[in-house]
Amino acid sequence: MRVAITGMSRGENPQPGAGIVAGIRAAYPQAFIVGLSYDALESGIYVTGGPDAVFTMPYPTVGAEAFLRRLDEARAAAPFDLFIPTLDAELDLIVNLQTELHERGIRTCLPSKVAFQRRMKHRLADLADAANIATPKTRAVYSVAEAQSEAAGMSLPLMVKGAYYDAQQVDSIDNLRDTAASLLSQWGAPVLLQEIITGPEFDAMGIGDGEGGITGLCCIRKTIVNKAGKGQGGATINDPALTELCRRLIRELKWKGPFEIEVIKDETTGQHSLIEMNPRFPAWVDFPAQFGTNFAAALVPFAATGTAPPPMPDPEPGWFFLRHQVEVLGRMEQLAALSGSGEWLDHPH
Amino acid sequence: MSAKLDDLLLNDRGFAFDAVDGESYQLSPTALQLVRWMQAGDLEEAVLLDRLMDSYEVDEHTARRDLDSFLSTARELGWS
Repeated sequence: MRVAITGMSRGENPQPGAGIVAGIRAAYPQAFIVGLSYDALESGIYVTGGPDAVFTMPYPTVGAEAFLRRLDEARAAAPFDLFIPTLDAELDLIVNLQTELHERGIRTCLPSKVAFQRRMKHRLADLADAANIATPKTRAVYSVAEAQSEAAGMSLPLMVKGAYYDAQQVDSIDNLRDTAASLLSQWGAPVLLQEIITGPEFDAMGIGDGEGGITGLCCIRKTIVNKAGKGQGGATINDPALTELCRRLIRELKWKGPFEIEVIKDETTGQHSLIEMNPRFPAWVDFPAQFGTNFAAALVPFAATGTAPPPMPDPEPGWFFLRHQVEVLGRMEQLAALSGSGEWLDHPH
Repeated sequence: MSAKLDDLLLNDRGFAFDAVDGESYQLSPTALQLVRWMQAGDLEEAVLLDRLMDSYEVDEHTARRDLDSFLSTARELGWS
């Protein structure tokens, strides 16, 4: 099996790719893994058990032609036939390239374009309505001026979210203006203004079978949340209400492939409120793999054959994880190879 | 017994984990014993009161005070 994976960074803002590599290595020790990176400093490139070959990719914003050309170059040097993209910004491009990828003999496990677009942040309220799920009041704005005028009809503090990443709480109009300007310039439009719901945060990861069902689901409560709202620790739970929310959402979308669903439970009403749905696994994807529920390993045959794997058992509640940072080491020659030619083919395992 | 009480995972040192909502608690030895009795099906206040007096060799006033305090917190947490 030869599989390409993106999102290798496991630093301050970790991406899922390195965890997916770990899950695949655990289940398929002989797999040949190609890392596709946007930065030679993505730490997961250099870990023991990391990718066998690495290629730098152009940012998705350069367009489909350049992205596909680079993919072809990588395949010529290190062939692969499965591709697991893991980053929100690139998925926006790649879901529209499924025909081109298929023609090249590259198999993926991705949602339809329609399903992908329906879960985008600025359309989340409509999706939540259709699935009969609560979601915080949210407004999409396309300029700083519009952010200011929309915020006038909402109560501060508010969450201000970038189109793809980043969420910051603002408690004044001045703060809102600066934050919206920064997010618009970094991630483009729209920026989302979202009312704040107070309560514990939950996260669910799974794989949709493309026909409305779920082949595996792992729900956690975020036990440690950093200032950016990222979970630094979590514990598995078995909450029938949260499971039902996930099932309704996936059924409504007929979602195919990996997903992450972020939810807050309103501490006054006890109601779960949908905050985001991401079209990929979360960075903690290898946490359940360590107690036997290996989502990355389940995704591989699904992508390879197009047939959804049998339902995975529900994870037992009471497992917890803590995010743990370590230093990985490399040689400057490796960095020079990736920074110069954009490829590194002889990863020592 | 409430579903929430049934979902609590306990250890002998009084650590309790709610498997539904992921909340965790540190119980006093008396609260741990009361949760265990309730999980085993002893739900009547009079029964719990008698068991507290017998097990801890305390008078009714002391047992009643501890039981009322526990039940009040348990109700707030949705355990009873």
